[in-house]
Amino acid sequence: MQEEGFIDYQKVLNNEEHAIKGTQSAIQKAVDWFRSKSMFVLAYGTGCGAIEMPPTFTSRYDIERIGVVGVATPRQADILIVSGYCSYKTLKRVIRSYEQMNEPKYIIALGSCTINGGMYWDSYNTIKRLEDYLPVDIYVNGCMPRPEALIEGFVKLQKNIREASKEAGYIKYRENNKFYKENQKKIFGENIEPSYEADFNGMG
Amino acid sequence: MIKILKQHYEIEEKSRRLFKIHIKKEEFLKTLNFIGLNSNFITLSQITCTDWIEDEVFTLNYILTTEQRDKNLMIALSIPREGKESKLPTLLYLFPQAEVMERDLHEMYGIEFIGNKTLFDFALENWNTTPPLRREFDTLAYVNEQFDFRKGREDNRDVKVETKRRRAEAKKLKAKKEVKK
Repeated sequence: MQEEGFIDYQKVLNNEEHAIKGTQSAIQKAVDWFRSKSMFVLAYGTGCGAIEMPPTFTSRYDIERIGVVGVATPRQADILIVSGYCSYKTLKRVIRSYEQMNEPKYIIALGSCTINGGMYWDSYNTIKRLEDYLPVDIYVNGCMPRPEALIEGFVKLQKNIREASKEAGYIKYRENNKFYKENQKKIFGENIEPSYEADFNGMG
Repeated sequence: MIKILKQHYEIEEKSRRLFKIHIKKEEFLKTLNFIGLNSNFITLSQITCTDWIEDEVFTLNYILTTEQRDKNLMIALSIPREGKESKLPTLLYLFPQAEVMERDLHEMYGIEFIGNKTLFDFALENWNTTPPLRREFDTLAYVNEQFDFRKGREDNRDVKVETKRRRAEAKKLKAKKEVKK
């Protein structure tokens, strides 16, 4: 029996019949496997979840062993962790950062606040559902989730990328851009920043 | 220091370290000038505001602290909630740190400070409606209008009812076990 992550993809590439069975082509499958093993996370924290991230990235939990590394700028990042509640002011910056990231890009939403507002359900300037404004790939619930939960989220995301079992968020964002922009406009009014679409045509 | 101030003002002693003066709006600048320049209370540590909607006033507390940080002096005054009289002069020239506090009060309560040029967006951006900490602002109505909430699961149950039911079940089980013994 083969261990997970050690499939001989050369065999898969040679055997075309086997490759056609899934939704991915053989080469795409290989690319996705490599992609899942190297995830660069934008060093950005909103809300209290940012406290849980340092232990996740440093020696105690050491997430680098599964291929997750922190990077400084959105241009280099693949993954954005929205770690907790988002006020209007923060959300504006989060959207800007997300749009500047190069595709493929994914979002992990950490904590109950991103799911339904959490303890800020009746707050006047905190958004309730993050998925209305940005496409979320993985939700990690809890208030606050421990680093183990975050790591589990990463592993699940790796699985999703590897098997292409779920439509990736950035494709949703590109195809349903109108829906997301309308929701964003509802909050920000006419003061919304111009949308950043260079990446949509493969120019980013 | 308090003894000297007691000659000029009626000082209420709240505790060993906390003193309070009630003043009228007209005496505001005169009093703060006098205390800020002639006494040991040299730091403005806070400006607090309470909305008394029934009396139609805001009560502002200017809290001053001594150089040694051992005594606090509260200077309380009331201003009307709306109209021309509700404006206050700024304290920027005496205490530069008042800039942020006044800006915050302007954003959360809508109080105007004459002479402060930084009264624009602070923590809230593009806020068009009533300032959120005024009591006539209905937070829940605003939230319900602005956001869609996620519907719960179809099989979700009332937590209180469910815990009662489970406790009753556990009791029954325990009683059965005891009868068997």
